[in-house]
Amino acid sequence: MTLEISPPLALAPPKQRLRLPLAVWIATALVVAAILVALIGPELYGLDPLAQNLRQRNRPASEMYVLGTAHLGRDIMARLITGLRMSLLVAALALGVAAAVGVVLGLAASAIGGTTRWVFFGFVDLLRAMPGVLLALVLVAALGSGIGPVALAVGLTFAPTFALVAREAYRRERALPYIGAIMAVGARPMRIAFRHLLPNIIGPIVTQTAIIFPRCIVTESVMSFLGLGAAPDSATWGRMIAQASRFFETNPTAVMAPALALALLTLCVAVIGSEARRRLDPIQRDLAR
Amino acid sequence: MNLAVLLGAMAVVGRSLALVVGIAVLVFVLLRIVPGDIVELLASEGGFSTGQMEQLRQELGLDRSSPEQLVIWSINALTGDFGVSLRFQRPISEMIWAALPATLQLGALSFVIGMSLGIGAALAAAIWPKSPWRLFVEALNVWSVAFPTFCVGFAFILVFVLWLRWMPLLGNLWLPALVLGIDIAGQIAKPLLEDIEEARQSAYVRTALAKGVPRRVIVLRHVLPNALPSLLALTGLVLGGLAGGTVTMEVLFGHNGLGRLTLDSVLGRDYTVTQATVIVIATAVVLANGLVAMIGQLLDPRRGKSG
Repeated sequence: MTLEISPPLALAPPKQRLRLPLAVWIATALVVAAILVALIGPELYGLDPLAQNLRQRNRPASEMYVLGTAHLGRDIMARLITGLRMSLLVAALALGVAAAVGVVLGLAASAIGGTTRWVFFGFVDLLRAMPGVLLALVLVAALGSGIGPVALAVGLTFAPTFALVAREAYRRERALPYIGAIMAVGARPMRIAFRHLLPNIIGPIVTQTAIIFPRCIVTESVMSFLGLGAAPDSATWGRMIAQASRFFETNPTAVMAPALALALLTLCVAVIGSEARRRLDPIQRDLAR
Repeated sequence: MNLAVLLGAMAVVGRSLALVVGIAVLVFVLLRIVPGDIVELLASEGGFSTGQMEQLRQELGLDRSSPEQLVIWSINALTGDFGVSLRFQRPISEMIWAALPATLQLGALSFVIGMSLGIGAALAAAIWPKSPWRLFVEALNVWSVAFPTFCVGFAFILVFVLWLRWMPLLGNLWLPALVLGIDIAGQIAKPLLEDIEEARQSAYVRTALAKGVPRRVIVLRHVLPNALPSLLALTGLVLGGLAGGTVTMEVLFGHNGLGRLTLDSVLGRDYTVTQATVIVIATAVVLANGLVAMIGQLLDPRRGKSG
């Protein structure tokens, strides 16, 4: 009888090859490219997104203007690129607000428990009962327009889903022995929640982030399409679409270019998000509003 | 009438009422943290004197405390009086009545298209698992997640109105309803299909299969009723999304509906109108959801006949 001697574990790490569908690879590549373009594109491309050329209004694509010009003779490509920067910036800020506010308050309320938890999650219920776009509308009306306020408004619109994820994760984690052990040592609930529990629930939070990010992008573009986005002159995709829509018949490119760009960006981000959900998070299908 | 159903119904009613009150308070508070005094803003635009400003404050009831204002507003609102538009000096209830039909039409048509397309596709995919229907459900899902309705709206206008010239743009009802309908179908088809698949793993389906019941009958007779509660939960989300979707569609297709009214009031800083329309729409959504929840309780087969 021979004994197969297995090599020490440390020397033989399990083969971890990430097997992802082709669509996810493509989406990831496109999103990385989009981030790069948003970071350095406007400076690299050179044409000023705000420069008007009134003699060249609503022109088709040419050597000078890759995608043609919009109604004030502004270069569509240049506006697309700065619009991308704006979309990603506002959406990322909004996502940060949503995750931070939702997770911190959700965890804190869960840890405190009792009436506080009841009142807080009652409020969360209330926010979720409001139609999302309406809530964002009212928040923009209250906070004013501009990058900061819009990001804040969109963020607060999505914060409730993060609070619910935090509560679910808290419930699940609490039952585990390590929390009991820490409680036995005498740590306070808040300390347990943020020092010990939070690092263990990063998974579901990240998943939720991946699910919510495309919604942030869309909501921002809807807001700026409706005329409630960042400053009037800045080139956001939503605003480009809104402004060009008056000349839709004569110059559909000026509308369709940002519309398609927006659809492509959300599609890629959503593909990554749903893959993340499929892989990381078995539980919360219903929470992803 | 059994007791469990009655208690459940009362819980739903109570919850809905609490939500309506909460939303009214929330919107009231939010619109009062608006930077700057509304009256001062109006005065700076309209060139009012201090005396006129005082008078306007009194007319709007702004000289009272906020809780008082809320109570007075709520009592008036229950009798159908939402006050007067700051911008147009018209009764808001009149404006809402005028805008209501357009939104209801669009909402109802989108809802019907969306639900029948979504449920139909999910059922077809469940009954014929190897057919292209499954792919169709996936495609619908990707479509609704990735494509914002206003982008789809423009694409549809480009194709159907400008290229094919099948229909006019302004006042068009079918096109926006189709856009919203596909969006709704995409939201419900995949979760519904997942639910049906899950239910198919259960013992009663295995029994039925063993008895030789055809697949079609199993899905329609045994699985679908058990998937109903989650379908109704999805309906709730759909209704909320619809309230937002109608805003962009009304702007795009030139309907003078509630969404448009709300948006114009936000843009024109007509806060009394914003307050009224948002509360009315949100209340409608909450009540519709309450109704859906109640239907769900009545239909849930697990609730049994004995209670």
